[in-house]
Amino acid sequence: MTNAAQAVSDKSDLFRFVEIDPNASEKIIAPRYSYWKSVFRVFFRKKINIFLLLCLALILITSFVMPLFWEYDLMENVMHPETFNLSPAEAIKYYGGFSLKWMLGTGNFGNSIFYGIVASARTSLTLATICAAINMLVGIVMGAVWGYSKKFDAVMLVIYNIIANVPYILLIIVLVYIIGSGFWSFVFALTVTGWLGIAYFFRTQVMIIRDREYSLASRCLGTPIPRMISKNILPFLTSVIVTLLATELPSYISMEVYLSYIGAGLSAEVPSLGRMIEEAQSAFLTFPWAFWAPVAIASAITVILYVLGQNLADASDPRTHM
Amino acid sequence: MGKYLLKRILFSIFSLLVVVMVVMLLVYTAINRNVIFQTDDLWNKKAGNDQKYYEYMQFQKFGYLNFVNYTDFLGNKYRAQLGDGYDDSEAFLADRNAIQSRDDSYKENPSVKEFYEQYDGKDSYKVIRLEPDTYKSGKLKPGGGAYLIAVRERNPLLRLFYYIRDFISFESTNDVEDPNLTERYVRFEKDPYSGLFAVVGSGTTHKYLLYFDGRFPFIHQNWAHLNLGTSYTKYRGQEISTVITTPAGELNVFRQQYPNLIGTDQYVETAIDFHSLTYNPMTREEDRELFPDNYTSYSMHRTGLSMLENSFVIGLVATALAYLIGLPLGILMARRKDKLADKIGNFYIIFVIAVPSLAYIFMFAAFATKTFGLPYKFANAQTKFLAYVLPTISLALPWIGSLMKWMRRYMIDQMNSDYVKFARAEGLSEREIYRTHISKNAMIPIVHGIPGSILGCLTGALITERVYGVPGVGALLTTAINSHDNGIIVACTVFYTFLSIVSLILGDLLLAKYDPRISLSSERGGGR
Repeated sequence: MTNAAQAVSDKSDLFRFVEIDPNASEKIIAPRYSYWKSVFRVFFRKKINIFLLLCLALILITSFVMPLFWEYDLMENVMHPETFNLSPAEAIKYYGGFSLKWMLGTGNFGNSIFYGIVASARTSLTLATICAAINMLVGIVMGAVWGYSKKFDAVMLVIYNIIANVPYILLIIVLVYIIGSGFWSFVFALTVTGWLGIAYFFRTQVMIIRDREYSLASRCLGTPIPRMISKNILPFLTSVIVTLLATELPSYISMEVYLSYIGAGLSAEVPSLGRMIEEAQSAFLTFPWAFWAPVAIASAITVILYVLGQNLADASDPRTHM
Repeated sequence: MGKYLLKRILFSIFSLLVVVMVVMLLVYTAINRNVIFQTDDLWNKKAGNDQKYYEYMQFQKFGYLNFVNYTDFLGNKYRAQLGDGYDDSEAFLADRNAIQSRDDSYKENPSVKEFYEQYDGKDSYKVIRLEPDTYKSGKLKPGGGAYLIAVRERNPLLRLFYYIRDFISFESTNDVEDPNLTERYVRFEKDPYSGLFAVVGSGTTHKYLLYFDGRFPFIHQNWAHLNLGTSYTKYRGQEISTVITTPAGELNVFRQQYPNLIGTDQYVETAIDFHSLTYNPMTREEDRELFPDNYTSYSMHRTGLSMLENSFVIGLVATALAYLIGLPLGILMARRKDKLADKIGNFYIIFVIAVPSLAYIFMFAAFATKTFGLPYKFANAQTKFLAYVLPTISLALPWIGSLMKWMRRYMIDQMNSDYVKFARAEGLSEREIYRTHISKNAMIPIVHGIPGSILGCLTGALITERVYGVPGVGALLTTAINSHDNGIIVACTVFYTFLSIVSLILGDLLLAKYDPRISLSSERGGGR
């Protein structure tokens, strides 16, 4: 008997009574999770991403900071025909020793190819960023409304069906022909209908999620529309948006090169990679440097942006966060 | 289904009209029309009123406006009265010089009055006098002579109306305005050149309206003509659909007989295409012995392909290559996901997407010419077949990459489906699952693009054609824009838009055919 009583009193030492807390029962305890922190944790796990980011930073710094100190002038040597189309080795010899400016040789007018590339890369990067920003912003906002409102949908579908029938390139060429080829008119030509495709793509995605059960449930509970869009729909589409960005950004750089080549690119005053490639391509067998240097930098920028974007898209998918 | 298709086609026609209207408005109204003189040397050489008059002439040629010159008006008037020698008559010269007066007295001249009465304010014409431009001494400045013209701006809506009205024209027996032509008919006749029957017309522009011969597509017609648009500068007044379908290259000479000599043993070595005979009111005497009637104008047989055929052949072979290579590679990548084959494939895909197409076309051209000794420029090729090799492969390369990308994506999306697990549980081999189950489902979205890629070949590949110097249709639009050739710009827009509409519709139909679960109209199942 005493043994048993002993055991009971021992056990009562082991256990303590806990008050029932009505507030605590309202919470579910889960490990702390921050979406964006996890995205970047997954993103930086891949060493290639760090390397590519460093490369991109180098290109950005070179192309945006360097022109502050050195002015690129296409016509600076136009009076000295002996400086035209020098290979890197010849340029170093002609200018008496290695210098950053002449390390890639000279172009058709004795201009520095290296400076040209730097100035052009800045144009291309600015153009791509601005166009992608405008198209993505307008496209996503319009797409979200388009997918959500059925009245708006009916109107927009007619407009979309008409415009989507016209080949995009044709539209850009005709627009550049009409409004001129300065930097901002070029941006206008690329964005005036460019957002429509993104908006349409986005509309379909929004419609799919709009009719999911959890969305229906929150609508039944009376969630206001802005909250529905920002909390129910957009988070689901983050990885889609980033994937889109990964293809959009480099596509404008390629587009500029393409349009310049066919003669509908930026005007001559604006240094651009497309124009440099276009000008050098006729003599690409005799002066390969003037051709390959801008091609290499355009390719490098697009590859870096594309791969980084794809990896960021992978990382922004919550299923990879385990 | 039929109702859906009809609705779809009607909407497509509507949107095509809207597109044409917008492009016409943009091209003819929104652009500053003076840009056409930027590169015009003739304009630079002229001065004063001569320059202004030249501008009006060019505007008329480029389709902006119509105008009537007072001198031409006088010419017509006096030719009717006096016959061909009118331009030496005093009355004509006096009337012509009347407009050179330095004040408004020219308006008293009866011919000028008549001109004003006929044109001013009528039919939206407006009479404009380019005032004589003189120095203070009263002497004319160079090019300062006065002009009197009646100008009518073309109404954008009317322009669209005429464009649609004249879009397709048919030949009729009243086409030839020749009072000497008595017999007018359209009938079946035996065609001596093919031995088959042909539809032959008299009074029509072409003699052979429908005929057969040994050339692709074997049945030919000259009855209906498409008027896409007329070139103003580059192809001087030619219809654009004729320009792109006319064969080029060297004359194809072979043994033939003139129509009147058939049955005799008189043969000639000639390249004349006797099926292309058109009416010629000024038939030469020596031709009368060779031809039975006045249909004596002709075009020639040529050995080369037309611009359209060049682009289409290259595009079609490239498309076939792309699908035949790209799809199996995409399937392979999906099967070997995250293994070496997938990694190599991914590298190629990134390369193709990210590197500007110009760059890898040049890379490929440099590589292939050095390694295999293939001809680089189209015109320099010794064998004609070899000239097509490089452009075709360069065109196929990026296409293969993009097909690989999508095929891999769709395959991987399907790989975790229940039906795949079921098939595996049933004990099917992996090969069978991939071959017959997954790839069949993954092909569904790919099928949608097939008509588009085939029809897209008709628009040509701009960069590829330019790099290799292929005479194709790819550069049509861009050269037209650079030379301000408004007719071609409108024609290209219509052509490209038409192709893209047709390929979308065909793609949808093919999709519904390939996957019976998909219903285009909302009548059956799945409609919301």
